[in-house]
Amino acid sequence: MVLFFQLLIDGLASGAIYASLALALVLIFRATRIVNFGQGEMATLSAYCAWQLCEWGLPVALSFLIVGAASFLLGVFVFRAVIKPVSKAPVETIVVITLGLFVFFQSLCLWLWRADQRAFPAMFPSGGWDILGVRVTASALCILLVLLCLAATMGAIFRFTRLGLAMRASAYSSEKSLLVGIRVERMLMLGWGFAATIGFIAAVLVGPRLFLSPTMMLPILLYALASATLGGWDSPLGALVGGLIVGVAESLGATFLPFIGADLRVVIPIAVTLVILLVRPVGLFGSSTVVKV
Amino acid sequence: MNGTRLFQSAPAALVTAVALCLPFLAPDFMLFEFSIAVCYGIAILGLNLLLGFSGQICLAQGALFGIGAYATAILNVNFGMDPIATLPFAAIITSLIGVLIGLPALRLQGLQLAIVTFGVASAFPQLLLKMDWITGGVTGLATDQPLAPKWFPGSQELWLYGLSLICAAISVFMLRRLLRGDTGRLMRALRDNPLIAESLGVNLTKARLAAFAASSALAGLGGGLFCILNGFISPQSFLPMKSIDILIGGIVGGITSMAGAFIGAVFIVFVPGWTTDINPALGGLIYGLCLIAMMMVARQGIAGLPIGRSLQALGGIFNKKDLSRVPGPLPGQLGGE
Amino acid sequence: MNILTVRDLCAGYGATDVLHKVSFTVEQGSIVALLGANGAGKTTILRALSGLLPSRGLVEFGGTDLRQCSPARRVELGLAQIPQGRGTFGDFTVEENLAIGAYTINSKRQIKEDMERWYTAFPRLAERRRQQSGNLSGGEQQMLALARALMSRPKLLMCDEPSLGLAPAITEQIFEIFKSLNHDHGMTLLVVEQNADLTLQFAHTAYVLEAGDITVSGPASDLLRNEAVQQSYLGV
Repeated sequence: MVLFFQLLIDGLASGAIYASLALALVLIFRATRIVNFGQGEMATLSAYCAWQLCEWGLPVALSFLIVGAASFLLGVFVFRAVIKPVSKAPVETIVVITLGLFVFFQSLCLWLWRADQRAFPAMFPSGGWDILGVRVTASALCILLVLLCLAATMGAIFRFTRLGLAMRASAYSSEKSLLVGIRVERMLMLGWGFAATIGFIAAVLVGPRLFLSPTMMLPILLYALASATLGGWDSPLGALVGGLIVGVAESLGATFLPFIGADLRVVIPIAVTLVILLVRPVGLFGSSTVVKV
Repeated sequence: MNGTRLFQSAPAALVTAVALCLPFLAPDFMLFEFSIAVCYGIAILGLNLLLGFSGQICLAQGALFGIGAYATAILNVNFGMDPIATLPFAAIITSLIGVLIGLPALRLQGLQLAIVTFGVASAFPQLLLKMDWITGGVTGLATDQPLAPKWFPGSQELWLYGLSLICAAISVFMLRRLLRGDTGRLMRALRDNPLIAESLGVNLTKARLAAFAASSALAGLGGGLFCILNGFISPQSFLPMKSIDILIGGIVGGITSMAGAFIGAVFIVFVPGWTTDINPALGGLIYGLCLIAMMMVARQGIAGLPIGRSLQALGGIFNKKDLSRVPGPLPGQLGGE
Repeated sequence: MNILTVRDLCAGYGATDVLHKVSFTVEQGSIVALLGANGAGKTTILRALSGLLPSRGLVEFGGTDLRQCSPARRVELGLAQIPQGRGTFGDFTVEENLAIGAYTINSKRQIKEDMERWYTAFPRLAERRRQQSGNLSGGEQQMLALARALMSRPKLLMCDEPSLGLAPAITEQIFEIFKSLNHDHGMTLLVVEQNADLTLQFAHTAYVLEAGDITVSGPASDLLRNEAVQQSYLGV
C-alpha cells in the first residue's frame, strides 16, 4: 500500500511536468488552432538562454525575467516569420512546419551548447517530508502549485477578460472577429508569444529535475500531447488534470502491469491518446476537438 | 500544378539516367551510400502515397521501415531464409502491421493521426528492446549478406546497388499501376475532399486502408533492403527521428513526385554526412530550415506566382503538387476555423 | 447628408473582379436596400466595405476615406456588419457574444448599459444569456447577431441577407426591428436582400445590382412600381 501511494505521488510529480508543456500546447491551440510540435524545443532554447545568463553571473530571478520576456518575443517572431504566411494552409502543411521548428530549435541548442547535460538552477527548496512512509518532495509540491495557479489564471483570462475573449474569438473565426473590430493578427501573435513564455515556465519548472540538454523536452512532448488530448485541447484546466492522470497512469502501469514494465512505459500515453480519440475526441474538459471536418 | 500527372517525365528520366550512370562515376563506398539512399527512397515513395496522394500525415514511417528491416533479419537469422527471398515477406508483414495502424486512422484525421503515429514512432525502439527474445534487444541482429554470384563482373557494392535499383524499379512500377487504377482515383478524391468523395459513394474505408497497406508495404520493402545492405540492425537505427528524416526526404523531394522521392532520399543520406564534419548540429539546422522553407515556398508555388514558375523551370526538380490546396489568404483574412 | 459614399468600387476574388465600378450613396438616417439575384455581387460589396476584401475605388464613410483603414479601424469608426450566416460565435455564450460585440467600446459602464438595453429589447436573449449561442434557434441567432452588432454603437449597420433561412414571420419581425431602430434611434441601415418584395416595403432607397453593376436605383416606392424590377425580382 505504501508502494502504491509512493507511485501515486511520483506519478503526480512527473504528471506535473507533462502538464506544464501541455499547458503551452493548449494555449497555442486555443489561440490559433495549431498544435505546435516545436513547443518543447522552443522552451528548451529559452531554458538554455536562462542558464547561460546565470552562468554569466546574472541573478537567477533577473535572468528568468529577461528570458521570459525574450521567449515572448521568440513566439511572436516565429508566428510572424513562418506561421502567418501559411495560416490558410491545410493541416498537413502546418504539422510539417511545426516539425521543422522542432528539428530546427533542437539543432540550434545542440549547435550553441553541445550535447552535454547541465544542471539547471533550482527555484524550489530541495527538502521533503515522509508521510507514513511516503516521500513527498517540496519541489514536486511547488511545481504542482505553480501549475495550478498558471492553469487557473489562463482559464480565467480566457473566460473573463476582454483579451481572452478576443483571443478565443480570433481562433474561432478570423473573419467574424475582424467584423467586431478585433485585430486578429495581433491576437494570434499574442497567443504564440504567451505560449512561448508558458513553455519557458514549464522548462524552468522541470529543468532542475531533468537537467538541461538539447533533447530534454523530446520525451515530454509525447506525454504532453497525450495530456492535452485527454484533458481536451481547449481547456487549460484539462491540460493540468490530463497531465496528472497520464503521469499517474504511467507510474502505476509501469509497476503493476507486468507486460508493460519500465521499458514500455511510453506505450501508456499512446494508449491513453488513442482511447480518448476514439471514445471521446473532445477530451475530458474540452469543447472542441483537434480536428473539425 | 496538376497532382494527377504523377510521373513527370523530365525529372524521372533525369533520376533514372543518373542512377544508371552512377556505377561508372562513383567509387564503391559512394555506391553503398547511394544504395542506402535507394532504400530510403522506397520508404519515401510509401510516405508520398499517404501524404501526397491521400492527404494523411503519418509520422510512423520510420517505425514501419524498422519493422521491414526486422522482418528480414528475423526471417534470415531465425529461419535461415535467403535474405533476398525475405524481401516480399518483409513487405507483406509490414503491410499487415501498417493496416493495423491504419485501422484507428479510419476515424482519426489530420492532427490526431499525426499525434498517434508520432506516438507509435516513439514507442517502436522501446518495443524492440522489450521483445529482445526475437529482436536481439540492444545488441541487434546481424544478417548474412547476399554475395555477388561468380559470373557477376562488378564488385560486391555494385551487386547490392543493382539489387536496390531492381527493388526501386519494382516499387515504382507497382505504385504507378496502383495510382493509375481505380484505387488511385479513390485516393485522390479522398485527399481533395473527403466529405464530397464519401457522399459520392467513394468507399472511404477501403481507400484509406489501401493507402496504408501500400504505403507500409513500401516502407517494409525499403526497410528489408536496408537490413540487407547494412548487414546489421539495432533499435538505434529506428529512433523516432528516423520517421522525421523520412518525412524530410519526402518534403524536400516533393511529395507527389516519384522521382522526387529518390532525390529526397539522396538528400537525407548525404546531407548529414557532409555537415557532421563541420558541426554535428548543422544537419539538423538545414533539415529544420528545409522543412519550413519548402512548405512556405511550395505554397507560393501555386499556379501563376513567379517563384513557382522559376522553380519549375529548375529541371522540374521541384515539380510537384504542393501540400496546400487552398489559395493564399486574402489581406485581412487570417487564421480561421 | 450622405454617411457613406461609394464611387467606382471594384473588388473580387483572386484575379477576377466581381464588382465593376459600382457607385452608390447611403443617406444618414435612412434604410437603403441593395437588391439582386444570387451572385450579383451584393455580399462582395459588404465584404469590401468592411475591409475583408481588397478593393479599388473611393469609399468614404462619415468623411473618412476608408481605403486606408484596417477592418478593425472601420468598426471603431462606426461601421458594423452582420454577415451572412449570423456572424455569432457558436462556442461563446450569449453574453460573451455581446461582450465581444462591444470590443471597440472602452467604457465598461456603457457596455453594461447597452447590454441591459438589448436584453430588454430581446427578452429571449436575456433568458438564454448563459447558454452557448450555437444552441439557439435560427431566429434567436439572428437577434443575437443584431444585438452583437449594435453593441459596437454603429453609425451604419450593414446586414447581409437577414432573411436567409428564417421563417417568414420571423423575417418580418427582424425587419420591424430594423424599422424601429431607424425610426426611434436614427440608425442608418444598409440591407442586402434577395427578398425584394419585403425589403422594398421597409427601405427608403434601393439599388438593384446585376452582375456587378448597379442597373436600377431610386426611392423604394418607385422600384416597387417599376415594371422591370417587378418582373425580375418580385415575381409578379
